[in-house]
Amino acid sequence: MVENAQDLPPLHEHRILVANRGEIAMRIMRACRKLGASFTAIYTADDAASGHVRLAREMGEKDSLYRVSSYHDANELMAVADATGCTAVHPGYGFFAEDFRFARRVTKRDRKLVFIGPSWKIIRELGDKINTKRLARSLSVPPVPGSDRPIYDELEAERIAKTVFEFQERQGIDRPLVLVKASAGGGGMGIEEVYDPDQFRSVYRRVRNYALRQFKDEGVLIEQRITDFNHLEVQIVSDRSGRSPVHFGTRNCSIQSTGRQKRLEVAPGFAADTLSYTFDADRVLRDIVDYSLAMARKVGYDNVGTWEWIVTRKGDPFLMEVNTRIQVENGVSARIARIRGQGEIDLIAEQIRLGLGEPLGYGQADVTFDGLGIEYRIIAEDPNNNFTPWVGHIESFSWKPEPWLTMLTHVPVDEPYEIPTEFDPNLALAIVWGKNLDEAKARGLAFLQNLRLTGHNASGDPLQSNVEFLKTSTERILRF
Amino acid sequence: MIDISALLDEIKAQPFRDIVITTPHTGVVTFADIHQGDKAHGPQGQWKEKPGTVIATLERERNPKPICSAEKGVISLLHTELEGRFVEAGTPLAVLRHQLTRAEVENLILRKALHLFPAPERAKYYFTPDVDKKIRASDAHSVIVREGMELLIMSRMKREVPLHYSGPSGVIYAVYFKYNENIDAGAPLIGVCPQDQLPTIQEVIMRVQTDWAEKD
Repeated sequence: MVENAQDLPPLHEHRILVANRGEIAMRIMRACRKLGASFTAIYTADDAASGHVRLAREMGEKDSLYRVSSYHDANELMAVADATGCTAVHPGYGFFAEDFRFARRVTKRDRKLVFIGPSWKIIRELGDKINTKRLARSLSVPPVPGSDRPIYDELEAERIAKTVFEFQERQGIDRPLVLVKASAGGGGMGIEEVYDPDQFRSVYRRVRNYALRQFKDEGVLIEQRITDFNHLEVQIVSDRSGRSPVHFGTRNCSIQSTGRQKRLEVAPGFAADTLSYTFDADRVLRDIVDYSLAMARKVGYDNVGTWEWIVTRKGDPFLMEVNTRIQVENGVSARIARIRGQGEIDLIAEQIRLGLGEPLGYGQADVTFDGLGIEYRIIAEDPNNNFTPWVGHIESFSWKPEPWLTMLTHVPVDEPYEIPTEFDPNLALAIVWGKNLDEAKARGLAFLQNLRLTGHNASGDPLQSNVEFLKTSTERILRF
Repeated sequence: MIDISALLDEIKAQPFRDIVITTPHTGVVTFADIHQGDKAHGPQGQWKEKPGTVIATLERERNPKPICSAEKGVISLLHTELEGRFVEAGTPLAVLRHQLTRAEVENLILRKALHLFPAPERAKYYFTPDVDKKIRASDAHSVIVREGMELLIMSRMKREVPLHYSGPSGVIYAVYFKYNENIDAGAPLIGVCPQDQLPTIQEVIMRVQTDWAEKD
């Protein structure tokens, strides 16, 4: 919890450092304006043409925009926050959003700032995958089967791997698969799969040596690799009291690139009224919501966060991890949510309001849902070539405005734009609403059909994007 | 073949380069005791271990950082209006009029004489491990490149793709990229000299060494 939250000034007296870039920076700036708070945005030389820079100039006043050397430099952020009189820092997603050391520094320094996110202790507690697993088990919440601490002993590792193989055989999985990963790793580094128990030892040794080289810690995790699953999420929102978290529903993020990066998200997580599942989908959604809320209550979760779940074809949910931050896809949950019947929910504004110490002001019974939302991530990449990022010059980017469509983009639509090579080539988030799955899908396809996106790279090759992949994937939304 | 005399005359007519000294990050500026027209020197010592003339100090989060001249020259402009102010990253602090050195003139002329292999995209570039090993063991001149050879790794957005050389066969005479530095599309990565033209290039170098007088 924030120390002395009751002593914090009212919202309109705050100035928030927007410690991020692109579309999320734009959403944070708009949310600040909505709440009556001031903001200071930042940008780097590579990002000078980004829409977030233009918006900061348009919406901001004095001290609303500063050029920094890097978004990754905490000293830079603190210096700008001090120079412009910021009272709080919003980290957005990525960069420092889940860095408990940064959150702690922000709140513990001489000139204290509010970190708009969970308290640093909670980020530390839930950011540790092993700790999260232990906490889950203590509440009878099922985590992904496997070790719940780093394994340093080869014989113990083999014993756990054997258990995980046998567990999968009992589940009737034809080709059991075990994941061996460096405990201290991240971002997909130091992970290998093992199909054959006889191969386990050599893979274990390889990963252990790699972990020692790269992370100076030879601890290894052994987990079941679930291949036939849906990826679900539960959106949690709580105030600084940490006592009464509410959920803003579920999302299904199963449509991903080959590198397991999300490309299309849907809220709610299943559509049992339209599609048939081999399990009781409504019960699964209820279960993961209940489990997530139980964990949030247990740790006194005090801001927005996402509980990520794997759901097997048999309808068994397993907790994957907790993301202690706002996520890219929060807008699709907000789009279908109502508070006391009122729509146009802005979870970023809620995050800021609650982060600055305001009470939640509503309970779970006040939160309802209407219709179905689809979020398309429009990205310059080549799906035919392993989703390789495409870099170049965007010449035109336009779409047909619709009342059911929300476009979130930092790409200027009235002038050409060079995609910076320093960042992922995400161009826009398109959130489509429909009263049911069929309507949302039809609208989604209509939107994609009308989308105009052209450009060339330095070699003169035309722009590559994932739009065709999104069109094709629309058909299989929420199917399992 | 290039007309080296004409090129040298062209450079001699304008033997300066204006270097804008900018802030590497944000911070509060305090100028050193330096004025317009003063001479500044670049890093010195056998290993360039002694920093150049201090132009200003940039303080951020209680850490003062000296901003030093990276080359020798004369201070032609000083933004003293920034004294005591908090500035953005990339803010110009001073302009240094730098007289080209012999090595810089050589470099300018070599860029006209060598076959330049350009960066196809803005990215970071690295030599492939084999080539890198060879360069570290001796030097770039020991590497002979030929059309289609896998020479470099292009790295951007967390992805790495091999880059094949295209152009005439020859030795790598100059390397224009630095480790972990972004190179713009079209900027040269390496300069290649066909082996039969090596004597000509050596002649160019000799000519610059004799014709270009270094000034203090």
